[in-house]
Amino acid sequence: MSDDDNRKKDEMTTIQHQELRPGAMPPNASISRKLREFYNAVQEEGIPDRFLELLERLEQAEKNAKSVNAK
Amino acid sequence: MNREEEIDDRGFKRDLLASLPNLRAFAVSLTGRHDKADDLVQDTIMKAWANQSSFTAGTNMRAWLFTILRNEFYSQMRKRGREVQDSDGLFSERFSVHPEQYGRLDLQDFRKALDKLPDDQREAIILVGAAGFAYEEAAAICGCAVGTIKSRVSRARTRLQELLGVSGEGDYGPDPGDAAITARAFGS
Repeated sequence: MSDDDNRKKDEMTTIQHQELRPGAMPPNASISRKLREFYNAVQEEGIPDRFLELLERLEQAEKNAKSVNAK
Repeated sequence: MNREEEIDDRGFKRDLLASLPNLRAFAVSLTGRHDKADDLVQDTIMKAWANQSSFTAGTNMRAWLFTILRNEFYSQMRKRGREVQDSDGLFSERFSVHPEQYGRLDLQDFRKALDKLPDDQREAIILVGAAGFAYEEAAAICGCAVGTIKSRVSRARTRLQELLGVSGEGDYGPDPGDAAITARAFGS
């Protein structure tokens, strides 16, 4: 058995050991939690100014177009 | 413009604004990069604004916006062709642009793993597992069957487990505090 195989085997044993630890999260719960943490971190950055400005411009353009049509 | 239309317009903008942080997180998840994600969100806002008459008031605006963004993402990808995949290289580039967002080592690993998923699996697990859509809504957004979404989510979970497991950095293990205590206890 090569060193590489041994290392892989060690890693697998470690993972199994962690999964079986009492009180450790089941793997799916851990992945779901990390996924939400990752996603929430972006959500919490809020709305960049460029989008607020863009919406202002779109709204203004629409108003201008409507007032021209109304004339 | 009559009064009713004016109120409708304000409602549209208000609902759009309310959906933006979530929509942006979806864009970051799909593209893996903040700069590209924001360009995609901008295109989506313009498309949504131009097509507001096709939105049925009272229906799920978030799902409507996600559908527009997703279609935009894939049509841009088809136009440009898939960029060279170098997850680690790309990641370090992203990382240097927005270091503050990836302060936690375990989230960096997670992001790298997420980048390695096939597009269809990544979007499925993001929509269902993070963006808060039901399987049925995710299926409508992706234009596929509910069963397809379910199997993609399940394959994505398995793949993430493999990816994070192989990295062997305690992804399933105790929280960082416990890990530090363990490390000290073993004198490493």
